[in-house]
Amino acid sequence: MSVPTEHLLALAAILFAIGVAGFFTRRNLIVVLMSIELMLNAANLTLVAGSRLHSSTGAVQVDGPILVIFIIAVAAVEAAVGLALVIALYRQKQTVSLDAFARLED
Amino acid sequence: MVNLLFYAAALVAVLTAAGVVLARNPVVSVVSLLSCFGSLAVIYLLAGFQFLAAIQILVYGGAIMVLFLFVVMLLNLGGLSPEAEDRDDPLFHDRRRSAGGLAVAVALGSASLIGILRGARHLTEPTNGFVLPAEGYDALPALAEAMFTRYSLPFEAASVLLLATTVGVMVLAKRQRSAPPAGEERP
Repeated sequence: MSVPTEHLLALAAILFAIGVAGFFTRRNLIVVLMSIELMLNAANLTLVAGSRLHSSTGAVQVDGPILVIFIIAVAAVEAAVGLALVIALYRQKQTVSLDAFARLED
Repeated sequence: MVNLLFYAAALVAVLTAAGVVLARNPVVSVVSLLSCFGSLAVIYLLAGFQFLAAIQILVYGGAIMVLFLFVVMLLNLGGLSPEAEDRDDPLFHDRRRSAGGLAVAVALGSASLIGILRGARHLTEPTNGFVLPAEGYDALPALAEAMFTRYSLPFEAASVLLLATTVGVMVLAKRQRSAPPAGEERP
């Protein structure tokens, strides 16, 4: 694949922007969490693009893929905790709309 | 030909990502995100990262998305209540909040796109094109060696993080069970 690096980076930027848009505009907590996953994936794509660029000039650099693996682990943790919180909140209010959780002291 | 495949996968990734944000039914969002992760795995594969592509499918497609789908099914979320769903529509309702979020996203996206495209000429692309190593850019022996030598501390930290998460999620679930059932004491 001889796609220039900036096209990979541009794709990552677009995906990140879509994730940000979902994070700020949606009210469904689960969709908000999915937007966060989208942003993490955009970060992974950026790391892959950088790793590919630097590996092709000489020895293979594995720092990028390792960081991607750690990010995936952290994303799994974040999803697990986030969804556990969603379930706990759902038990309280019978909804996952962010409007219901505007006041934390409730 | 391979480049064409990349641009096709990129198009699918962008469209499905937009589907995640725009779909009003959470199940559609989950399936959309799954396709987005799939096309990202294709991109990793094309770029020469076989192991990351496999991990992307296994962990993201297999574990994380199943978790999301499980919660959506558990809470029986065909959608929010009609009035909440109206407010949730990202484009047509609650214009002030939507406009703010969309403005932030568009500003961020266009700023980074401009930066990337303007800075692209400073990148030193390999002159003979990208020559893919036989084992790809993430050969497992090299990856494992780095993971257990230079990155052993983050590796252990990740294992502690996973343990802490397991315990934390258990505590979250347990505390809710011992609390009075929801809706009984609430006015």
